[in-house]
Amino acid sequence: MKNVLVAAVLAAALSILATAAWGSAKAPARAAASSAATATVKCGSVRTIGMAAPITGPAADIGNQQVRWAKYFVKRWNAVKAHAHSRIKLITGDTQLGVDTAFAVKVAKSFASNSKMLAVVGPAGSQEVVASTDSYKSGRLGFVSGSATRVSLTDGHTAGNRIGYFYRTVPNDGQQAPAVANWMTKKLKWKRVYIIDDQETYSQGLADGTQNILKSRGVTTQRDSISQTQSDYSSTIAKIPSNYQGIYIPWQLAPQAQAFGQQLAAAGKGHIKLFGSDGLFAPGVWKITGSYDSAFPFNAANPVVLAYVKAHHGNGEFFGLPSYVAAQVDTLAVTKACKAGHGKTTRAAVRKQIAKTKLTTSLLGFPVAFQHSGEMKAPAAFGIYQIQKNGAFKRID
Amino acid sequence: MAETSPPTPDAPAAASTEIGVDRWVSEADERRERGGLGGRIQQVWGMIPPAGKLALLTPALAVPFLPLSEANVYNYGLFILIYALLALGLNVVVGFAGLLDLGYVAFFGFGAYAYAFLSGTHQEKGHAYTHHWSAQYSILAAVVLCAVLGLFLGSSSRRLLGDYLAIVTLFFGQAFVVFTNSVDPYGVTNGSNGLGNIDPLKFSAFGVHLTVSTTRGYYWFMLGCVLLVLIIVHLLSESRTGRAWKASREDPLAAELMGMPVKRLKIMAFSLGAAIAGLAGSVFAAAQTGAFPQNFSTQVLILIYAVVILGGAGSLTGMLVGAAVIIASSQVLDSTSPPNNARTLFYLGLIVGVVLMFKRSLAQMAVAVASTIALGFALHAVVDAVWSRGVAGQVTSGGYLTGVIKNWVLLPANPNRLAVYGYLALVVLVVAIVQLKGWWRVAVVPPTLVLTAFVWENLLIQQPAVTRYVLFGVLLISLMATRPQGLFGQAKVEIV
Amino acid sequence: MSTTPRQALGNLAGLGVLLAAWVVYAVYFSPTQGWTFFLQLTVNGIILGSIYALIALGYSLVYGILKLLNFAHGDVYMIGAFIGFGVLTLLGGPLSPAIPVALLVLCMFVVAMLGSGLLGLAIERFAYRPLRDAPRIAPLISALGVAFFLENSVLLLFGANYRNYDGYDLISFNGIHLGGSAGVFVSYLGLMVISGALLLMVALIALVRWTQFGKAMRAVSFDREAAAMMGIDPDRVIASTFFVGSALGGAAGVMFGLLYSQIYYLVGFLAGLKGFTAAVVGGIGSIPGAMLGGLLVGLIESWARGYLNGNDADLVVFGVLIGVMLIRPSGLLGTPALQKV
Repeated sequence: MKNVLVAAVLAAALSILATAAWGSAKAPARAAASSAATATVKCGSVRTIGMAAPITGPAADIGNQQVRWAKYFVKRWNAVKAHAHSRIKLITGDTQLGVDTAFAVKVAKSFASNSKMLAVVGPAGSQEVVASTDSYKSGRLGFVSGSATRVSLTDGHTAGNRIGYFYRTVPNDGQQAPAVANWMTKKLKWKRVYIIDDQETYSQGLADGTQNILKSRGVTTQRDSISQTQSDYSSTIAKIPSNYQGIYIPWQLAPQAQAFGQQLAAAGKGHIKLFGSDGLFAPGVWKITGSYDSAFPFNAANPVVLAYVKAHHGNGEFFGLPSYVAAQVDTLAVTKACKAGHGKTTRAAVRKQIAKTKLTTSLLGFPVAFQHSGEMKAPAAFGIYQIQKNGAFKRID
Repeated sequence: MAETSPPTPDAPAAASTEIGVDRWVSEADERRERGGLGGRIQQVWGMIPPAGKLALLTPALAVPFLPLSEANVYNYGLFILIYALLALGLNVVVGFAGLLDLGYVAFFGFGAYAYAFLSGTHQEKGHAYTHHWSAQYSILAAVVLCAVLGLFLGSSSRRLLGDYLAIVTLFFGQAFVVFTNSVDPYGVTNGSNGLGNIDPLKFSAFGVHLTVSTTRGYYWFMLGCVLLVLIIVHLLSESRTGRAWKASREDPLAAELMGMPVKRLKIMAFSLGAAIAGLAGSVFAAAQTGAFPQNFSTQVLILIYAVVILGGAGSLTGMLVGAAVIIASSQVLDSTSPPNNARTLFYLGLIVGVVLMFKRSLAQMAVAVASTIALGFALHAVVDAVWSRGVAGQVTSGGYLTGVIKNWVLLPANPNRLAVYGYLALVVLVVAIVQLKGWWRVAVVPPTLVLTAFVWENLLIQQPAVTRYVLFGVLLISLMATRPQGLFGQAKVEIV
Repeated sequence: MSTTPRQALGNLAGLGVLLAAWVVYAVYFSPTQGWTFFLQLTVNGIILGSIYALIALGYSLVYGILKLLNFAHGDVYMIGAFIGFGVLTLLGGPLSPAIPVALLVLCMFVVAMLGSGLLGLAIERFAYRPLRDAPRIAPLISALGVAFFLENSVLLLFGANYRNYDGYDLISFNGIHLGGSAGVFVSYLGLMVISGALLLMVALIALVRWTQFGKAMRAVSFDREAAAMMGIDPDRVIASTFFVGSALGGAAGVMFGLLYSQIYYLVGFLAGLKGFTAAVVGGIGSIPGAMLGGLLVGLIESWARGYLNGNDADLVVFGVLIGVMLIRPSGLLGTPALQKV
């Protein structure tokens, strides 16, 4: 009798579980196999866009900056009375950059299969863009990144063709490398530069580009690499000759730059200056005083920017600023597409609107419009920063 | 859970210090007949012929996933089948031949990379590799290559026993991840960015062209693979080779003396397991349209082991059931699935746990459940009166349970610190419960359950993807301590 | 726990020959020639090797006494590092410590060692003791489960962000220059790590060789039942061994944090793997073997990073390990495994 009772309880529990799993497993759009990709979506008064960023993991700092800026835009958009029937809902997906590129693929797939999703902001890393292209394409989703800067992402043939799907609201490394090289040669007048990449696609592209320009200007360079999981840099540091003036570290993980700088100083080579890239723009994490960094352009006098800085205790978190613009691009495209379709639209229509984006002013400091390849039209200049004693990044160019 | 466990949990330990351990082993059949409901189910199941079992299991695997949406077919159906296949392969190595292979996931990865390389296009560092082999060739090549690799690894087992084999295979697995992660000069593995641009499965033979590119297509293909491998492994296990494996697992020296080529058997087991993993890997790469080094990390290895251990090493049904349980709960607790599913699963799991803990005494069960409910409400009322911030928080995606949770569980406005302390206290309490018996246990259970709900709502549900790994770790530990033979395995005693 | 048959001497001789050949090549014939570079790398390797040796000792102690590969040891090391970080933050942080620096460091070590030791005790009690007589695979799976549990608990409770010890801010960026200002540089922190590790190793050897407890440890590892019959309580000895091994791991964790700054939840996995490699290369179960193995792995890693490109260094370490396992499966100073019939 006892056994039967126990069995009955267990059976009841399992059947409830099965029903719950079943019931919640039934997605709203249960149409044909490629349903979500080509289906017509009812816009309603709340539209959904997704955000793929590293919310946890070693790059969590820059990822959360991006998320905060994007959410800032959504908040401002939703607060406008006129947008009462075109509000935006932002769904975030954690890509854990620096841990595992496969997470970016997972997030991409889940976005693609969410039938309400109309456009995506992100992903953050160039390698994540490469990996998740297939998933976004098969889901017909457009994705606008605020930080993937590798040049080859928009050339249409390297590691996949994502023209028409991928856009970015940042200048690419083809502009970052010259800016960095110019600063090194013209302003800092360095003659001997050591370059270390972190074996990721973003880092290598940037390192290659900068090294080529430096070499063409007669600067002596040497090249090495570290891995993103490495914590002991003593051997790499031992290889750096003491008479070198600067070390270029275009890395993605700011904690690594901090540890590297400390170990460099501990090895008696603290007089060699560090020069980072936009991935290391993490005030408070990378705080080696006197180091240089190149980062995205923005308009410091814009009232929106000033309001953000004020709301975040003086911390601008400018790495995430282009994600604000990306969210803006997505939102405007979705709104326009819904209006043109009289309350109904498809992902393809949204993508067409993204391609036709025209922002006369933006936080970046210049108008935003896209070329066919996905790059922005306006030629933008990267800013050069230096880390102050209090840890803040001060613009010096 | 089944009644075939020994009469008291201490029996195995006690048995091994008695003279006549064989008696306990030989009494296994008696216990099976004696043991109530579980025993009866086992008897009935044992009476069904293998073909009948296959006929029963096939629709069980195929039907539930038919009406699901595409994402769920991918997440649940496809992954359950992939892990079932992997578990079948690992079962051959660990369950049949008794070799501890901790680098098994490297074969999975090797199959994936081989398929990606042979049926895709990628260019990196100026080298362009554009092979577009049709799937039947590339899958075959992947399987054969993996089998050869398994042969190579297995040959190292000739000189190594037990622990040393585990060490070498562990390093082999790690070396694989490191190897694929390091960017090589010829652009073969493409480092940590993985290989993309993989063709879907395209079969073209004898004028028949078949392309598998949709998720459902992969699912059906994978189901076919699983059934095929199931049949092969079953026939093998019933054959002379299978019996030889089992003999060499139990006592290699005796097997050698009986004329079985133990060394060759070990290598064969490694090879077959590797080939199966290679098959799973190639289909996985095609379905994910990508192969990344971290897809084959130690976490995946532990998942596969959890499936094999839970199902019961040596039992084929167990592999399928284990895969279904572990992967389904793993996906429900994933960060991309609605939190309310995770919550439902968690609370149901708690209920099942309490029922199993007190299955011998209904009185204790009733008292425990009643006092848990009462304690939750009482605590909530007290805290509400004394410290209003203690209940001011929000329920995360509550759905239909919001009302209950808001009134039963404490939700502080700023839960972070408290949740951390609560978690640590919970670990201590759970350990205490394990040690106590009888009414002492009944006394400790209600606070523990209330604390569990507290920690869940305030901490665990924010990161279900991490929670599931914590739970799997705990599952492995507790399985080994209470029921090492898993659900469908056979209890064994090591005779020294 | 360790015997020195002729084979061990032979192994050491072979190792010596290989090392000598390598030194000659590195200093005279490699593209990056010179003694200074080589010695700098060697010093770095010794520092790194000290940490690996401490971790390897934890593995070897446990294996010697239980014949169990404790995969959770790397995570005990990680928790030791986190405990040290917690103490550091509580007492003011690296930039403004509330108590004198020497006292602060001592505090970090003591608390971390205690904490890790207790954790080791708990793991032994709840994950391994019920499996004393189970088939060999069971405690291994349980160990994997514990490792998983610890890693993900830390991830759950403290997040995935890196924590920075900023050890150089705490102690000093300075050090001594050997051979003039262009010579080999050893930071004070590095010296501290080497001497701390040496101290702990000497203490361990003293414990094992000259105390009653050490004798009990050796007895239990030799034959548990006979030791029980002689009046030694095997449970207590095993528990104490776990305590000692885990405490050493915790100390290694704090050292790692001070030297290399960044700690996160996965740091135990990598270091544990390398420490495990070291224990195996030296001969698992043997204390001198663990120390030698740790030193060796640290040196090889440092040399590989220095002379080869960054990517290939990890592969070299693994390659060396697999090579050693295939040529000398029982390690350099271990005893070949005998099969009981």
